[in-house]
Formats: sequence, C-alpha cells, structure tokens
Amino acid sequence: MEKTLIIHSEGDIDAIAREFLPVVKEKRIIAFHGNMGVGKTTFIKGLCRALGVVDPVTSPSFAIVNKYVTSDNQTVYHFDFYRLKNVSEVFDIGYEDYFFGDDICLIEWPEKIAEVLPDDRLDVWMTENADGSRSIKFSV
Amino acid sequence: MNPVILGIESSCDDTSAAIIKGDTILSNVVAGQKVHEEYGGVVPELASRAHQQNIIPVVHKALKDAGVTVSDISAIAFTRGPGLLGSLMVGTSFAKGFALARNIPLIEVNHLQAHVLAHFIQEPGQQHKVPEFPFLCLLVSGGNSQIVLVRDYLDMEIIGQTIDDAAGEAFDKCAKVMGLPYPGGPLIDKLAKEGNPNAFEFAKPRIPDFDYSFSGLKTSFLYFLRDHIKEDPGFIDNHRADLCASLQKTIVDILMEKLVAAARKTGIKEIALAGGVSANSGLRQAFLDGQKNYGWNIYIPKFAYTTDNAAMIAITGYFKYLRKQFVGQDVAPFARMIL
Repeated sequence: MEKTLIIHSEGDIDAIAREFLPVVKEKRIIAFHGNMGVGKTTFIKGLCRALGVVDPVTSPSFAIVNKYVTSDNQTVYHFDFYRLKNVSEVFDIGYEDYFFGDDICLIEWPEKIAEVLPDDRLDVWMTENADGSRSIKFSV
Repeated sequence: MNPVILGIESSCDDTSAAIIKGDTILSNVVAGQKVHEEYGGVVPELASRAHQQNIIPVVHKALKDAGVTVSDISAIAFTRGPGLLGSLMVGTSFAKGFALARNIPLIEVNHLQAHVLAHFIQEPGQQHKVPEFPFLCLLVSGGNSQIVLVRDYLDMEIIGQTIDDAAGEAFDKCAKVMGLPYPGGPLIDKLAKEGNPNAFEFAKPRIPDFDYSFSGLKTSFLYFLRDHIKEDPGFIDNHRADLCASLQKTIVDILMEKLVAAARKTGIKEIALAGGVSANSGLRQAFLDGQKNYGWNIYIPKFAYTTDNAAMIAITGYFKYLRKQFVGQDVAPFARMIL
C-alpha cells in the first residue's frame, strides 16, 4: 500500500518525522530519493531528533557517512553517496559492515549505489509540490 | 634533541605521511601525486583499499624526502578520527604495527585539532609568526565549517559550527546547479573575479549564536535560477560570472559575520583560517579586510597544510609528544565528529 505524508512547512517536520519513525525502526535501511534542495537532509535531521540523536546532524556529502548515537546508545548511520563516481567505491568503504549490521541506515543519493542496495530496504521518494510543500511517498 | 615524528593521515580520500623534527617539517607526501608516478598503477580516489595500497609507498617516500631512516623516528602519530572507519583503520593499524615493531610511542590525533595546529608547522630555515593564545580559528573545508576557540595547543573548543551543509559543500553544490564540474568551489572563485558581487542578492540564514547554516542558501540559489531560467533559458550562460561573484560574496559574508561576532564577544584579535576553503580569494580578502577594519592579527597557513595532509598530524603529534600523551595498542578509530 502506498502512503504519502505531506510537509507543509518546516514546522511540520518533527510531527511527520514522529509519524514516520515506526517505519524507520521496522525497515532499518531507508533510501531517500529526491532532487537537490528538496529537503532530504532536513527531513533526516527531523528523523534523528525523533530518534533521540545527541550529535549534531549535518550533511555527509563530503564525509560520505556520518555516525550518530542516540540518548539510549543506539547507532545511526547517515549516508550521502552524492560524490561517488563509481559503485566500486562503495565496496572500498566497506558498505557491508554498515548495511548488514543492526544499526539504522539513512541514505541520501541511493541511486549512486543502486546495484548494492539491500533488497529489504524501504524506498522513499521526496518531491516538491506546486505550493512549495513536500510529499514523502513510500510503500508499506 | 628534537624528536622526529612520523605522521599518518588516512581519514578520507587521501593517504598521506609526513616527517617533522621538532616543529620543523622535513617532508609531507600525499598519495595521488608523485607516489603515483613512481610506483605506477591507478590510485582510486576514495577507498580504504587504496589507502592500503598507498600507505607503504607514501611512508617510504616521506622518509626518503626527509633524509631520515626508520631508526630515526621517535614516535608515530596517526589520525584516529573523525572520518571513514575503513580508511581510518588502515592508518591506525599501520601506526600500531610500526610503534610495536620499533618500540616507540604511539600518538592518536583528532583530525579537526590537527587542522587548527597546522598553523604551527615551520619550514626549514625560516620561522614564520604563529598565532598567540587564545586565538579564534575559522575552519572551513568540504566537510567542516566551524569557529574554534583555541586556548592552548591541546585545549580547544568549537564555539560555532554548521547545523547542516559545510561552506565548501555550498560552493560545490551551487556550482553543480550551474552546470560546473565537481568540485566547483575553485571554479566559482575563478569566475567570480570577472563578475559583480552585488549583481544578485541571496537570502542569508538567521540562526542563533555562532552557528552556521548553508542548506537554505543552496535551496534559494536553486529556486532563484529555476525562476529566472523560465523567463530566459540562457540565464546562467548570460550571467555566470555575476552569479559566481554574488554567490561567493554571500558565502564569505555568512562566514565572516559570525567570525566577527565571535571576535567581538570574546575580545580576541588573533584570528586564524584553516581548511581547504582558505584558498578562496574572497575569503582571503575578507581576512585582510578584518585586519584593516578590526585590527586583527590574521594567520593563513600554506595551502598544502590546509587540505587533508599528514604534516598537520605530525605537528599535533609533536605537541602531544612533549606532554607524553601516548596511547596503547588497544586504541580504536572513531568516526564521530568531536573535538
């Protein structure tokens, strides 16, 4: 079943993130699709707040992956594969250690590593609507 | 007798090794440059596997360039974090093995602290002026945008940092939106020289204290272009230099506003710049303006010590060596962003 959540303004993010949280915990690996500027990092920041992350949540575009811990000592990995040129680079990072562990993985620009994304992931599509609001679509 | 320290850096893309004697650098080798030519083969850009291939040749070359042998090394310093775990693991494992084999002290280094301490690297035969404590350091790179209050060599605190994108990332992503190749920061700088920095105005973030935000600028730049392209499909081509100049001015203004505020609040006039974005001519000019307008003493390190390099790891190792801050063989790398 396809579900759509709408974020009308930045003020909605925390409430939508809380609504989305059970899916994150169940699926563990979430791939966020969407154009630059649609708000992937911003929404992930909201999710991390809902998860109780204590570290600053920033864009991992340069670092490729940021590691955060939550107040109850859970680990969250935040990926951004934007600057990868070739999927072989993801092998060199040792992606298996992250994706096949037990920790939550939030992934931006998953298209760059489409061949190696785990099958049991959740795909999420973020789009901008004509009125400036954002849609978050996924199947459950 | 000054200690001779071997520094190892492998936190992200580049493998690097450096030799420092006291605070004087003897060699600083980054893989992908000459090592590549001398040893042949392809050097992948981003890879722990690449670090594994590079680390031995890079260390060999650093020793050779410095004119020292393995038995001259007093201690080995390595980047413990933050960075990519797989990459950090290579440098950490090498350093541990080397320390064990040579029976010399092992020193762990925080990559961010090392960026700041790069200011204290001296060249052989020439002493340059270094910042006096306490000083403020603006650390700007592809992955960092921070204001660091430095009380002493090993006593520093982040008093402001980006809450989303780094300044270098803002340059690179806006460049991409304009159809420039990645990384676009240096190209924007070049094009900006021919443009009018006041041609366009972009919204600046309003966030408290000394923190930064660049995500909103990226988005507003994107929308600005989209709206103008609707009316004039050639908008980017017709205004490229002005767009670059205006964007660069906005990013530099954002960086400097918080730095000026931090300098005012702390009363500190020793102001240093670190990280790869320090190569940006707009930012350099803003520092010179700060010198003129606020009576700052400004410090900008040599470019080779602002990108990821082992010289800064070696100098940090030196200060830790003096304080006997050594670690045992049980030390593990860390990925999290902490100072």
